[in-house]
This record gives sequence, C-alpha cells and structure tokens, in this order.
Amino acid sequence: MSADPKTHRPQPSRMVRIVDHMKREWQLYAMLLPTVIWLLVFLYKPMYGLQIAFKDYSVFRGVAGSPWVGFEHFDTLFNNDQFLRALKNTIIMSLYGLLFGFPVPIFLALMFNEVLNQTFKKSAQTIVYLPHFISSVIIAGIVITSFSPSAGIVNTILGWFGVDSIYFLTKPEWFRPIFIGTGIWQEAGFQSIVYLAAIAGVSPTLYESAVVDGASRWQMMWKITIPSIMTTIIIMLIIRIGNILEISFEMIILLYQPATYETADVVNTFIYRQGLQGGQYDFAAAAGLFNAIVAFVLVMTANTISKRYSRTSLW
Amino acid sequence: MSGVNLQGLVKTYGALQVVHGIDLDVQEQEFVVLVGPSGCGKSTTLRMIAGLEEITDGDLTIDGRIVNRVAPKDRDVAMVFQNYALYPHLNVADNIAFGLKIRKESKEVIASSVQEVGEILGLTPYLDRRPADLSGGQRQRVAMGRAIVRRPKVFLFDEPLSNLDAKLRTQMRAEIKRLHKRLGVTSIYVTHDQVEAMTLADRIVVMNDGRIEQMGTPMDLFLNPVNTFVAGFLGSPPMNMVSAHVETGDNGPVAKFGENQLQLAQIPSLQNAVGTEVTLGIRPEFVTVSRTADDGAIPVDVDLIETLGSEALIHGHLQGEPFVIRTETLGQMDILDGISGFKIAPELIRVFDAKTGLALPGQVIKQ
Repeated sequence: MSADPKTHRPQPSRMVRIVDHMKREWQLYAMLLPTVIWLLVFLYKPMYGLQIAFKDYSVFRGVAGSPWVGFEHFDTLFNNDQFLRALKNTIIMSLYGLLFGFPVPIFLALMFNEVLNQTFKKSAQTIVYLPHFISSVIIAGIVITSFSPSAGIVNTILGWFGVDSIYFLTKPEWFRPIFIGTGIWQEAGFQSIVYLAAIAGVSPTLYESAVVDGASRWQMMWKITIPSIMTTIIIMLIIRIGNILEISFEMIILLYQPATYETADVVNTFIYRQGLQGGQYDFAAAAGLFNAIVAFVLVMTANTISKRYSRTSLW
Repeated sequence: MSGVNLQGLVKTYGALQVVHGIDLDVQEQEFVVLVGPSGCGKSTTLRMIAGLEEITDGDLTIDGRIVNRVAPKDRDVAMVFQNYALYPHLNVADNIAFGLKIRKESKEVIASSVQEVGEILGLTPYLDRRPADLSGGQRQRVAMGRAIVRRPKVFLFDEPLSNLDAKLRTQMRAEIKRLHKRLGVTSIYVTHDQVEAMTLADRIVVMNDGRIEQMGTPMDLFLNPVNTFVAGFLGSPPMNMVSAHVETGDNGPVAKFGENQLQLAQIPSLQNAVGTEVTLGIRPEFVTVSRTADDGAIPVDVDLIETLGSEALIHGHLQGEPFVIRTETLGQMDILDGISGFKIAPELIRVFDAKTGLALPGQVIKQ
C-alpha cells in the first residue's frame, strides 16, 4: 500500500520557512531593522578593533598592518600594580554598590506601593526620580559643593556639633561611601520604576484573598508582593552582576583626584588614562577585553545559578 | 446561628448608587445563589459581605453580630475568587495553609488540616505542586481548600467556575454541592449562570440593576417568576414571551394573539385585565409538539431544529416573535420534521402585564 502523498508532504527547509515568515511578517522585520543596524554598527563592528589587544598597535600602520604580539599586553596588565589596584577597587565598589545600592530601589518601590495618599505618592516619586534626569556633571558639582570643607552643607552640620572640617573628597577612605551614596541618590528612584511596574502586575485578588484570610499589610508585603516580584528582582540582579565591572565611569572621573586613586581608580578610569590620555591603545584594549570577558562569565554564572535554583533566567 | 442578614444594604461610588437597599436573610447552612446579569450588583453585594467593599448604608449581620465596621479577618468568612487567587510562588499545601499560618496556628494543626482538606478535595497527590502545574479544575479545588481549611462560618463564592470549560464546570458544580452537604456551612454564591444557580441553590436571589427582583427556591422561581425579567433570565432556553390581548370569551377571559386564543380561566385576576395587553410566558419545556393538522394546535413557523441527543430545540416564530420548543427526541424523531405547531395546558402559562412586566396576581404554577 503506497503512502498518501497528501499526508506525507515533505516539510519545507528551515531557510524556506524563515523566508516565508519574513515575507508574511515584513512589517515586524522592518521595525526590527533599525535596532539590528544599531547593534551591528556600534557593538559588532568595533569588535574588529579588539584584535589590537593582541598586537603592537600603531595608528600609522592601522589595525590590520600592526604586528601580532600574542598575550604580551595581558602579561603587562597583570604585572601592573595600577591595574591590579583598579581591578580591586572595581570589585570592591561593585560589591558595595550591589550590597547597598541594589536593595534600595526595591525598598523604595515597596514603600511607594504602601502609600495610599496619591498626591503624596506622586510628589515623593517625582522627587526621587528627579536626580536621574540631572547631568552627571551637575550631580558631581552638587556633591563637591555639599562636601566642600569651607561652605559645604555636610561640614557646616558637622561644625554645629564641634567636628572639624573634613576634606572628604581628598581622603581615600571617604571616596567609596560618597560614590556609592551618590549613585544611590541619583539612580535608586528611577530604578524603582521597574519594581513598581512589577508590583502593578500583581493580581489585586491575591491581596483581597489575603485580607479575608487576615493578613496585615506587612504580611502581604512579605508574603505576596516580594515573592511576586522575585522574578523581576532576579533578572535585575543578573543584569547588575553582568555590569559589575561597569562602574559609573563619568562620576568617578568627575569626583576622583590623584589623592584618592588608592580607592577611587577603577578599570574603566585606568583604561581611559592609559588608552586615551597615554596613547597606549593596545594595552587599554587588552584591559577592556579582560573587563568584557569577566562580565560575560559573571552574567553566565549568575544566569545558570538563577535558572537552577529559582526557575528564573534571562534565557 | 451562622446566618447572614442584609438589611437595606446600599453601595454608592461617588454619586453613583449601584446597590439600592438590599434585604436578604440567609439561614444557617443555607446555600443561597445571587444571580443576575453583569453589572447587577451581585459581586458588589458579596464583596460587602466579605468586607472588601465598605457598606454605604444599611446593616450587615453575620452570626447575630453587626459587622459593618468589622475587618474582613474578624468576620469569619472565607471567599473563593473567580480567578482562584492562588499564590503562584507557593505550592498547593502552602496555599491551603496560608490562612492558618497568618493566624499563627501550630505546625501540627496546619499539617493535619492541610492533609484533611487535601483528602476531602482529592488534592493529596498534588500538595507539592505549584498552581502553574495544575489544571483549571485542580486550581479551583485548591481555592476551595483554602476556604474550607479555616472552617469559617460563611463561605462566599464569587463566580468560582466561570474560568472553567463546560465539562469541568459541571463536575465542579457537583463537587461544590457535595462539599456543602458534607460541611453544612452557610454559603453565598454569585454567578451569572442560571444553570449553576438552579442546580446549586437552596434559594436563588435574582438581581437586576442593584435590586432584588425575586428570591425563592429554584423551582418556585422557574415556575412562578414575578416579572418578565426573572422569567427571561431563568431557564435555558428562556421562557417564550408572546404578546396577547385579553378579551371576554364564552367561559371567561381569553388571551387572543393573531388567530389564536387561549382560555385562561384559572387566573381570576385576568377578569380585571379584559381589554388590556398582556404577555404570555410559555416555557419551552411545557409545550407538546404537534402537527398542523392536530386539533387545537397553535401554529409556529419552524425554521430550525437543533438535535441535542435525548432532546431537541425547535426554533421558530409565533406572531413574528421568536419561539422555542424543547422536546424529547426518543420516539419522536420521525415527527420532528413535520412539526409546525404546539399545544399547551393553560395552567402552565404565566401571564404578565404588558406595561409593567409584572405577573398578574393570583396565578401559581404548582410543582
């Protein structure tokens, strides 16, 4: 008995199906195109230049014409005290940022969610969102002015209690708290929007059901709101871990000075000084590549751990 | 007495009044169903009983105590929601135990209660699963488990079966009925599905536009609706409405429609309605199909016959108005195609005033 040709029609190849899909949904692909072009131009094309991390790069010979030197720059990098110090500072500041900065937006969102007076809620939200929209230069100016030893508000208040003026921004031990605090002040409010959106997605009947069961607002926050937004929290944490070496470069450049390099210099400022100010493009590219590889490994690890233990992952 | 009493219950949102003074007395262990179309105020009434909506006016009494200003948790009620309201991050056991944990019951009490409820609802094999890993019916059972585990004085159900498919709805309906018989807890159930109302209720309360239209046993409401709204709402297919004119006949008043007339001497008040327009309410189930040639049959223009298996729905028109007949198919299949009329016993017709829509007084169709 021969097979019915209608029921055994061969499946079209994957490529044919993709082309068919593109023809059918061309409007969607057209909308996707600008992003794809942006990715290619700004993220993929520059990857060609990464090879200078393995070359003795000369601007006159160009990327292709410069001779290969293997891992020489990486050898130099890991024997460079300044780089190792910058790496240490980056990791310490990132961990501090994670420890103190990551929970603040979640806390803010939870607090906003509990505010019943809409006018107060909107005003408070506007106030905490505002610093995000102010240029880093102005923020740095505010910080420098606030911590100024002569007329800064912080030293003025300390003066009321008989404490002598402190040159905060010239003291290495004060740089990290000031930097982390500034980052939280500038971004926590805006970052809380993501969590507020996640909270808005929690079904109101969960709360109503809990109310009938006798849960207090505090219990509802712990037993419903936080678990319900845990997926968002984990995804944000993975993204944050992926960016752990991407310390706010502009803010450090604006706030640090040679006196505070000991605690303030991070990988990105090191790359900036070596690459752009010192003209060692190949050496800076090696440091940048190392940075990217560490970030990639971190995000993969965080994603795998999250996938295994919480069923939540980026991919 | 774990009864629930509503006296003049009113709910307003700003200037908009949505519940207009409801009076209802639910007896202990009674299963009362609030039924009505969307927006009729049934869910709002239930939510006022649960304490999820503030009562604008009137008194709500549960177990002999006025609870208008009592927090939901202190009313000793449990509610089953339309969308189950299960906590997605908790497994079945923890979902069921949630209310007990909140009330700081001991671990032993929680474990034994969860086990017992799991057995009652057939959830024991699923206690470790999360809601996302359950079927719709299982989720609904978990939602009921959460309600019964606290052994409340009153169960409140807010359209709990409306998210289920037809087959599951029928199964769960029977389970709810069984559960009520077993636990004997006073229950108030909201639905827009009149079949659910008819099958579950000890007493049905039909609501419309924030008011109670009628309350009574399912059969009483089915047979003796007080107005055309209730008549049209209960029953599937709904009651046929035929416009008629009351005239004086040889043996008392008759209702005339077109060339047809029905002797309705069993309704004394019809005598007072002579010369007025009325609406005849005829249940699709109460008529007997016949061929045109049959003596005394009222002709219907049949345009569709739906065969449902043991019975058939015959759709047609009478005096230009839609008319449906429900009939058994067994032994009648051969005559179904030839049907073009029906007969009905006059005592099974409900007569309504055409202007007010209210049933004429003095007519009772007995069960």
